[in-house]
Amino acid sequence: MYGETGAAMRTEFAALLRQHRVQQRLTGATPEAREELGGRIRTYRQTVLVWLGQAMRAASPLAFSNTPPAQPNPFRAVGSSGSHLNTASELARAIDLARQQSSARPASTDALATPNATPMVEHWRLAARAAALAEHDTSEQVSAQMTAPQAQALVGDVAALTQALVVLDQRYKNTPGWEPLAQSARLGWASLAAALDVNLGQPDYAVDHLGWRPKTKVITGPVRPGILGVLQAQHNLAIRMMSAPNATNLRLVVDSQRLVSAHLAPYAARIDERLAGRWKERAETYSVVQRELREIGGLLGKGGLAVAEGANAVARLKALPHDTIVEPRVLSGFQLLFNRLDDRIADVIEDGVEHGAFFKRVTLPRLVGGGQLVRPVRERFVPVTSATELAVVKTVRERLRPKDEPPTATPGPTRVDLHSALIHRPTTGGAVDVPNI
Amino acid sequence: MLLPHAQTLAQARSYLAALADQASTVDASSAYERVLIDLDRIHEDECPAADTEGLTEDRAVLLAVATSALEELDQYGIDPLTIELIIAMLDDAYALDGT
Repeated sequence: MYGETGAAMRTEFAALLRQHRVQQRLTGATPEAREELGGRIRTYRQTVLVWLGQAMRAASPLAFSNTPPAQPNPFRAVGSSGSHLNTASELARAIDLARQQSSARPASTDALATPNATPMVEHWRLAARAAALAEHDTSEQVSAQMTAPQAQALVGDVAALTQALVVLDQRYKNTPGWEPLAQSARLGWASLAAALDVNLGQPDYAVDHLGWRPKTKVITGPVRPGILGVLQAQHNLAIRMMSAPNATNLRLVVDSQRLVSAHLAPYAARIDERLAGRWKERAETYSVVQRELREIGGLLGKGGLAVAEGANAVARLKALPHDTIVEPRVLSGFQLLFNRLDDRIADVIEDGVEHGAFFKRVTLPRLVGGGQLVRPVRERFVPVTSATELAVVKTVRERLRPKDEPPTATPGPTRVDLHSALIHRPTTGGAVDVPNI
Repeated sequence: MLLPHAQTLAQARSYLAALADQASTVDASSAYERVLIDLDRIHEDECPAADTEGLTEDRAVLLAVATSALEELDQYGIDPLTIELIIAMLDDAYALDGT
């Protein structure tokens, strides 16, 4: 995810920006050795530049300028008359220019993966590796989900990193064989303009949550002791539910969730009263869902493994000693899994009803009188014509599906650190700056 | 499935559903629910709807009528051992409910 790779890049660049006396740090006795290290740094820089260009391409369709447009006519493209160019596109152009004019090639996979003995080069390597990984996180598929404020945040990050590259370029210029960035002054000003433009708006740092994530897997192996065993089963259940269960197995899963919520609530009450209340409410919701699912049938689907994991969770929870203290971290893990599972169960029910995997059972006519009349019952299920008619779909939509809470996104410490590293001043001999009186 | 079979099954389901709704604890309710799910499973989920409206709230009476409805299923070609097992599950659930 972009939050991790972006933070790694910013951390490494902040560390590099705090290093002065570059030539002393390039541990090479001869100028040739230093030239070789400088060449390696330039390949790493090229990898970072490639990512910067790619991130700008991902963000630029959405990176609208926050300055009021000079051209109020929406049918005329902004900047077509040359009066008002978009700062983000200027920055993208300057980065592309710097990338094309550099003679260095992007670092090879070997160069990215092999640790370097020189600490300064190692920082460059880690930054380049994070940049290479970040290409996953700002790909076209990801940028298709990006919102305009998130694109603004990405442009802001690119601008800060570009500024860092410009500052470092100045500092490394005495390295033998060093090739400065093409039009570095223009690059610096373009990044400043883009950063200022971004700060006129409200960048949304939820962009950190976008990007590639590793696939979640079933936790196999021995059962974890105590409450962690319950968490393990609950995690596995959330994964097993990815395949659609049939109606009978769905009812068993729903039953297991009712029991898990009801039995976990007392443990949560000792730590977090509010969470316990939510889980009691969840147990009640599942009771209602279960009552309404009795009248739903359907043979399509499997779900045996999900039922087994649900039963594991209930059995392990019941075996817990009553005085167990559950950590807040574990409780929030449960809440996360509950949300994911509730969402999935709501999807299964809604999709199943909509696509005809689930049917509504027919109420039989009561026999009146002698009861001698015997005739075959032709239909015991009716297809649900409109999904909204069913009580269970209504309950699922109104009560079960987790409410969308906007993820709280803050700039995070690494952004602050990079910006403070950009403007910091070296202190000589540990002397403290005091104001002159 | 013929109408008398469906009728008996609907009655058994209704009584079990009423027991699950009126159970004193969530564990007992879940136990009744699993009896009901097992009953549906042996009919391969081909069951009529339950109708709990107007049923008594006395759990002992409900248990008696549910047991008798389950025993009646024997006449419609359901394996007697399976029925006995379901009745045993129901008795366990009732014991859980009483304590």
